[in-house]
Amino acid sequence: MSTILVVDDEYVIADILGYALEDAGYKVEKAPNGKTALDVLEKVRIDLVITDYMMPIMNGEELAKAIRSNAQFADLPVILMSGAQASIGKAIPDLFSAVFDKPFDTASMVARVRAFIGVAEAGRDTPELQ
Amino acid sequence: MEQLKRLATGIEGLDDLLKGGLVAGSSYIVQGRPGSGKTILANQLAFNHVATGGRVLVATLLSESHERLFQYLSTLSFFDPALVGNQLQFVSAFDTLESEGLEAVVKLLRGEIGRQGASLLIVDGLLNARSRAENVLDTKKFISELQGHAAFAGCTLLLLTSSRLDDGSPEHTMVDGVIELGEDLYGARSVRRIQLRKTRGSGALSGVHECEITEQGLKVYPRLEALYSHPSSPGSEVLTRVGTGLASLDGLLGGGFPSASVSLAMGPSGIGKTSLGLSFLAGATVAEPGLHFGFYETPQRLRIKARAIGIDLPALEKSGAVHLAWQPTTEGLLDGVGARLLSHVRKHRIKRVLIDSLGAFARLATNQGRLNEFFRALMGELRAEDVTVLATWEMRDLFGSEINAPASELSSIVDNLFLMRFVELDAELKRLLSILKVRDSEYDPALLELVIRSTGIELDKAFVQASAVMSGTASSAQGA
Repeated sequence: MSTILVVDDEYVIADILGYALEDAGYKVEKAPNGKTALDVLEKVRIDLVITDYMMPIMNGEELAKAIRSNAQFADLPVILMSGAQASIGKAIPDLFSAVFDKPFDTASMVARVRAFIGVAEAGRDTPELQ
Repeated sequence: MEQLKRLATGIEGLDDLLKGGLVAGSSYIVQGRPGSGKTILANQLAFNHVATGGRVLVATLLSESHERLFQYLSTLSFFDPALVGNQLQFVSAFDTLESEGLEAVVKLLRGEIGRQGASLLIVDGLLNARSRAENVLDTKKFISELQGHAAFAGCTLLLLTSSRLDDGSPEHTMVDGVIELGEDLYGARSVRRIQLRKTRGSGALSGVHECEITEQGLKVYPRLEALYSHPSSPGSEVLTRVGTGLASLDGLLGGGFPSASVSLAMGPSGIGKTSLGLSFLAGATVAEPGLHFGFYETPQRLRIKARAIGIDLPALEKSGAVHLAWQPTTEGLLDGVGARLLSHVRKHRIKRVLIDSLGAFARLATNQGRLNEFFRALMGELRAEDVTVLATWEMRDLFGSEINAPASELSSIVDNLFLMRFVELDAELKRLLSILKVRDSEYDPALLELVIRSTGIELDKAFVQASAVMSGTASSAQGA
């Protein structure tokens, strides 16, 4: 089962997105900031990261940079979800695989996640089953 | 005397209340019910602070998402999304508060102040901190630690809360200032208000002041009598004369209105008060311009009225000799309208003003009890700018022998008083103008007939042969 890490200091958003992803069959991990997200990445095998931009301790951009600088996570898709700062994310496409403007439609986020890592039950190693 | 460093709020009127702004490095509570404007005040301050080179951290202890906040802030002109995420950081500490408690929130915010290099910290949802605290001491500790970290970093602290904390609450005793926002009903009309309930280390303007929220955000209108408790300048010491626009009236007054004086023309509707005022304004020049500060007639109607008595108002406007400021709203705020009048006067260096009418102006007051102080301050300030004022006052009765002076509190602010009446004489309805009072000057007390012609207003000493003119039903004295 593919696991998605949702990183947001605003727990309501993390929760809502988490439920939608769980409904779609994914396993969801949550972190309230970039630093905690990196800790989770060390311990849990994550297939995709969805992160907010503005967060305490470590923001989304810093998190994405840390992920990209680690060879282990070179191919890990990182999606930025942000309102006011979406333009920042779009300006650095190397960091983010996709950028979503808040507020967004969770269905389109789930569809985008599927496009990156395949349908939930299939897992990323067997994309041909979709 | 030490001058404290101020953090200007950039909010119209609020810096006047605060005597320059918040005391930098101090802590303030902003309290008010939901919808009272706390969030707008705080965010407007945040964006203004960024505009002057500051950096801001906004932390919420509430569960409400920042995106919702941005959505409705985007309807306000000060909101600039490009600054969010850069000079302005919004973080949520709700999760930390819930899962780890107050100490963890303090630790988180201390780190964030440094990370952001914040010179202003706004914490929304103070009540949640109180609910999370196990006792009063916990709340006090939370605030004092936040204050300590903020002050150490040279950061001004703003705590927002929707509860109405009383003066004795631990929160109030600890902070340097408390700003309360609210709303009051006057009949069907709702008026926003702001009050500085506590201000340490500054001569802030206490009491309740009216404010409003527009597309530009919060606007505060300090009570004029508090703002100008002393006129901002002594005004001219030389008494000159300002032409009334009517040669015959100038003659009776010894050359015109005394400069920087306030005159009131009282009379019933249709007697010619505005026409008299327009003649006064027509004497304005580009060097010493005039202002029509009106409440009833639109500029269009005013131009028509002027044309009917031979005054080319558009030409005067075009040259810059006369400015028109119409107050279209019937729900303006007294101090806001007063401030607008003063702002027009200062902007255009106005030297003569027609307030048409003072009664309509007075009706804006939500508390009639302060009108005397208000108008005294307003007129004092106009006098300080060497402005000669003519105001109109509408009397209720068209006829009748009773003449009611405007409320006694108004007559004390008026230097010169003119009464205009309809008089029946020899089967004709005539307009009468009489001088009731001229301060510190001689005047001719003759009763004048005012005749409105297409070439202008004319005044004649027409009632020399009549008696009981002031009663409204004159009788010819010849037969007596």
